[in-house]
Amino acid sequence: MNYVNIFVQSIFIDNMIFAYFLGMCSYLAVSKTVKTGVGLGAAVIFVLGITVPINYILENKFLQEGALTWISPELASVDLSFLSFIMFIAVIASIVQLVEMAVEKFSPALYGALGIFLPLIAVNCSILGGSLFMQERQYANIGEATVFGLGSGVGWFLAIVAIAAIREKIRYSHVPAPLRGLGITFIITGLMGIAFMSFMGIKL
Amino acid sequence: MSETTQEVEKVEEKAPREPLFSKKNRKLITDPLNDDNPITVQVLGICSALAVTVKLKPSIVMSLSVVAVMIFANLIISLIRNLVPNRVRIIVQLVVVAFLVILVDQILKAFVYDVSKQLSVFVGLIITNCIVMGRLEAFAMGNKPWPSILDGFGNGLGYAWILVAVAFFRELFGSGQLLGLQIVPEAFFSFGYMNNGLMILPPMALITVGIIIWVQRSRNTKLIEE
Amino acid sequence: MNTNSNSYTVIFSVVMVVIVATALALTAEGLKPMQKENVRREKMQNILSSMGVETDRDGAAALFDTHVKERLVLNASGEETARKSGEVKAGDTEDAFNIDVQKEYKEWKAGSRSANDINYPLFICDKDGATIYVVPLVGTGLWGPIWGYIALESDMRTIAGTSFDHKTETPGLGAEINEKPFQAQFEGKFVSDKDGTFTSVKVVKGGATNEHEVDAISGGTITSDGVDEMIERTLKVYEPYFKSNQ
Repeated sequence: MNYVNIFVQSIFIDNMIFAYFLGMCSYLAVSKTVKTGVGLGAAVIFVLGITVPINYILENKFLQEGALTWISPELASVDLSFLSFIMFIAVIASIVQLVEMAVEKFSPALYGALGIFLPLIAVNCSILGGSLFMQERQYANIGEATVFGLGSGVGWFLAIVAIAAIREKIRYSHVPAPLRGLGITFIITGLMGIAFMSFMGIKL
Repeated sequence: MSETTQEVEKVEEKAPREPLFSKKNRKLITDPLNDDNPITVQVLGICSALAVTVKLKPSIVMSLSVVAVMIFANLIISLIRNLVPNRVRIIVQLVVVAFLVILVDQILKAFVYDVSKQLSVFVGLIITNCIVMGRLEAFAMGNKPWPSILDGFGNGLGYAWILVAVAFFRELFGSGQLLGLQIVPEAFFSFGYMNNGLMILPPMALITVGIIIWVQRSRNTKLIEE
Repeated sequence: MNTNSNSYTVIFSVVMVVIVATALALTAEGLKPMQKENVRREKMQNILSSMGVETDRDGAAALFDTHVKERLVLNASGEETARKSGEVKAGDTEDAFNIDVQKEYKEWKAGSRSANDINYPLFICDKDGATIYVVPLVGTGLWGPIWGYIALESDMRTIAGTSFDHKTETPGLGAEINEKPFQAQFEGKFVSDKDGTFTSVKVVKGGATNEHEVDAISGGTITSDGVDEMIERTLKVYEPYFKSNQ
């Protein structure tokens, strides 16, 4: 049940966009049409689902204080946690690169759909954010971490598809000139965030 | 537009003493404050920042961290720009930024522990702050060190003032305080004034930025989007 | 020089990695004592705060020495296994102050430590001549670990004060556990009946009705439940000790 709980909570309550504003840059830039929104959203789910568990292993087997004891008990006092930012971002950058190459080789159709979005993802804050939250929340095992990664991705996907759909429609409305484009997108996102807050406190 | 002219004048006063601030260099600092603001115009670097704007103090620390990281990242990249192999330049930029961010994080943990607790993961997220990477790629890779420093400083400031402005309104209306000091007098509360609890919640940060954009663009009409 | 050749790229990368790694390792090592000291003082500050002694982090160390007289470790059946007094020595693993209850809790949750191997620190303190017992708590909130201290008066059943903290609870809701209004509710409540039977303090929704209840945080139900659970689970272990020393 814990898995379902983490999944639902990371989608709806601690949504990457509405609660933490992570990945806002690409969220605002790529949400002009639903089609691109879906593409980028899918890529985010994919990459978060892979990088969070990998970084979980890295964190628990290499970086934490005392994490190296599986190599030798003498290493118990080694604390490499100061390297975690740089290791996480390196893992993310290389995974994105690998995924891009693999997708291109094995599924040209998927590459056609996701390809142009993958390079954008290395600098999408929600990806690094996923790993950093995983580190801070200290999930008990790799299963929980994976579910958290996937859930956060789905939450991000939901947010970008929703805003893209609204932006497609809002073109036909009379928005005050200075608010057009960016301004109204911010305000709509805020309102959506308020709506999402009604999910708070849900526990399955 | 009065604010902008004041800012330009201030720099001009300094100019005779400081020949390094040529007209072109001054523009590097003043542009990002308004016409080319990283947040409200270039749409960069909103990600990591807004979540720390509930209170003024962490926002100021966050702004200073970003300004420091931007200046040094721009400087370092600009110094080594002719040595960096083109194929790995994005990774090199990431490493330089990550390196600086780790330094900032360690220093915050050692000297301002309380603030570092409040900022938590958001210091780490400066690494993927699009402004930093964006300016490295767009400016520092092709310019000399001094203009790069100015560009980093200017964009950092442009980012900082939005952050501080948002935090100012959120703390004032959300908790009736500024920097932890009570600003709204007790008398107001006895007349039925209430702190607006909504301002503390994350969505209001977005709406506040939306309103700042509204105000900015109604004063500076050339920024209006089609 | 051709900056795009393979060998140049490799050499450049290696040099960069070495420089960055050395610089980071040096800074991290250099600043570590100060960071550790901050964490240590914060812990002292929290213990003091739970018994109602407010101080800033700089003053914590001195006040800790004045107020905290003895530091005990109990095992999972509530028997005393170690007792220390005087200055806290950094590497002394038998010292209750150095026991990382959060780490042990996490290991227990992950299954790598059995419930019988968990150590339970107890701080016997003195405030204006009255003895106060401070017990560290650790549990799980909505998002991540929550922890705190609960201070009992010399009768070992009246709560003298509490302090809770968290890292990741929702701001404005669950995060309220580290604010005074929530913590102050506990003062004067009881953790056992008049005849000494353990009855934990419950964090309840919709208004506390008796001396074993406090109000939950509205909107922070899961965090409140976490507080409730950690108080009950932890204090249960100390019950035999309190009974035999009453």
